Amino acid sequence: MYNSILLAADGSENSFRAAQEIRKFYNKGAKVTILNVIGYSDSKSDVLHGSNSKSLERERLEKISDITDFFEESGITYETAFEHGEPKETVVRVANSGEYDVVVLGTRGLNSLQEMVLGSVSHKVAKRANIPVMIVK
Amino acid sequence: MIETFKKEWLTDPKTNILAGIVVALALIPEAIAFSIIAGVDPMVGLYASFIIAVSISILGGRPAMISAATGAIALLVTPLVREYGVEYLLAATLLMGLIQLILGILKVGKLMKFIPKSVMLGFVNALAIMIFMSQIEHIFGISISTYLYVGVTLLIVYVVPRFFKAVPAPLIAIVVLTAIYLYMGADVRTVGDLGAIERSLPNFIIPDVPYTLETLRIILPFSISMAIVGLVESLLTAKIVDDATDSYSSKNRESRGQGVSNVIAGFFGGMGGCAMIGQSIINVRSGATTRLSTFTAGMVLIFLIIVLGDLVVQVPMPILAGIMVMVSIGTFDWGSFKYMTKAPRTDVVVMVVTVSIVLMTHNLAIGVVAGVILSALFFATKISNVEVDRTESGNEVKYRIDGQIFFASVDTMMNQIDLDDEDRMIELDFTNAHIWDDSGVDAIDTMITKMRRKNNQVYIRNLNKDSRKIINELSMINKEELV
Repeated sequence: MYNSILLAADGSENSFRAAQEIRKFYNKGAKVTILNVIGYSDSKSDVLHGSNSKSLERERLEKISDITDFFEESGITYETAFEHGEPKETVVRVANSGEYDVVVLGTRGLNSLQEMVLGSVSHKVAKRANIPVMIVK
Repeated sequence: MIETFKKEWLTDPKTNILAGIVVALALIPEAIAFSIIAGVDPMVGLYASFIIAVSISILGGRPAMISAATGAIALLVTPLVREYGVEYLLAATLLMGLIQLILGILKVGKLMKFIPKSVMLGFVNALAIMIFMSQIEHIFGISISTYLYVGVTLLIVYVVPRFFKAVPAPLIAIVVLTAIYLYMGADVRTVGDLGAIERSLPNFIIPDVPYTLETLRIILPFSISMAIVGLVESLLTAKIVDDATDSYSSKNRESRGQGVSNVIAGFFGGMGGCAMIGQSIINVRSGATTRLSTFTAGMVLIFLIIVLGDLVVQVPMPILAGIMVMVSIGTFDWGSFKYMTKAPRTDVVVMVVTVSIVLMTHNLAIGVVAGVILSALFFATKISNVEVDRTESGNEVKYRIDGQIFFASVDTMMNQIDLDDEDRMIELDFTNAHIWDDSGVDAIDTMITKMRRKNNQVYIRNLNKDSRKIINELSMINKEELV
């Protein structure tokens, strides 16, 4: 039984699929932490594209709202966490913080060339995390 | 006070000093390239970067933000330097700093929120395009070797960081390719062909210009533009660093700090500068959080120039051009293309107009001002649109009024109301309207008086609180008609 589940989510279709997968092994009483990593260059585009009326926090919450909505419908207890940093390193660091029993993430679905240039987050997390890793395709 | 000092200077000094060193290494090629864009010796940009970084580390409002000589200012002053020379640039920098200091004291930081998103996007995109265009003369039509050096530089700056991040890739490109150039030689221009490097600290100087009204007339337009562009870029960067470090910073202190730093730069032979988005991101990514990182960046930069000045003049220009291409690609907001398909048509027009005006005038300040005016006009047009919906049943006529009722919109409202009705019950429903000023109240008075004259019964329904208040204060209609 996993009591504390870490879900790395970037707001994409793939991270939503990873969230759906959690319901299959979720037990009552457990808690899911939705981790959204904000890269340093994301700060630039988020500030530039941010609306004047809403705070950046609100906008970022909206980005993962399909996941929070889904968790609410499914009766899954969750909290959200936003961290600044490089996605790969930050997911690994949070996963290894000792607070979590398992880390769940989706793949970005890159082809092999993109993967060579951009580097695969899921690959790095699988290699470096000290807890079980679930990669959802 | 002492607590703040400790937090802003002494938190995690090792990480901050290392981040500062990384930034210094990344700053040198940019400071030289921006000097060449402005048409001055590399020292003018290098001194500016040293002085502004050190001074802003003490006086600025945003710890861990990097300010130095920038492309935005360099692009502005090119015509001034070409026609009048570097001394006028220094004088313009002094005045720029003075204007920024005054704007900072007047707390102009708050005005930033009146610059709409579309104008900011236009600003960064125009800046990116201008930096790219400024490099064309250093890349095309010179020699085959030039193309080769540019190509290899781009390859290094984009591929190496995937595997190795400790040293900034532009510096690796410079060291490796300059070594190859010194060993093999090639048909390329070098930094030394375009200006001299002095291995000394800057001296205090008074810009050598006639202190007359004529001089003021020449430099003032430049100084105003430099001050505006410097503040826009600095406060935008401060917002980005605020977000990336999860903290908040004083925008007014930053504006004043930018002003004083530019005044000092002008007195020590440096061109004007401002905060740099790219360098600040490099700094924060390296873990910087304190003022010590910015201070270190400035000090290490001048130290390296004094030690390595003789080597710097040997750096081939195409390497710097390649690095500038990378800077322009990094500055451009690639999300703008998606924005153009999703955003309201008028916002897209504002962005495109801002970019076009900058590219036509070569002046970012004119682009920003024009963009703000245009979007204000669009906004006024949009909110002055009032919709009136009329329904009739038997003897009753019902108007639903939808929109903002003020001086610019009363005509639109009145045109949609039929004043020829006679002997009827007329209901005016203001649920979705807001009355803002006496013109709005006046229009409603006129309307009701005319309706009454034709023997109609008029009722006003559902005014919101503010509208009801202004009607009670200013209107001549009687209470029975307000429901």
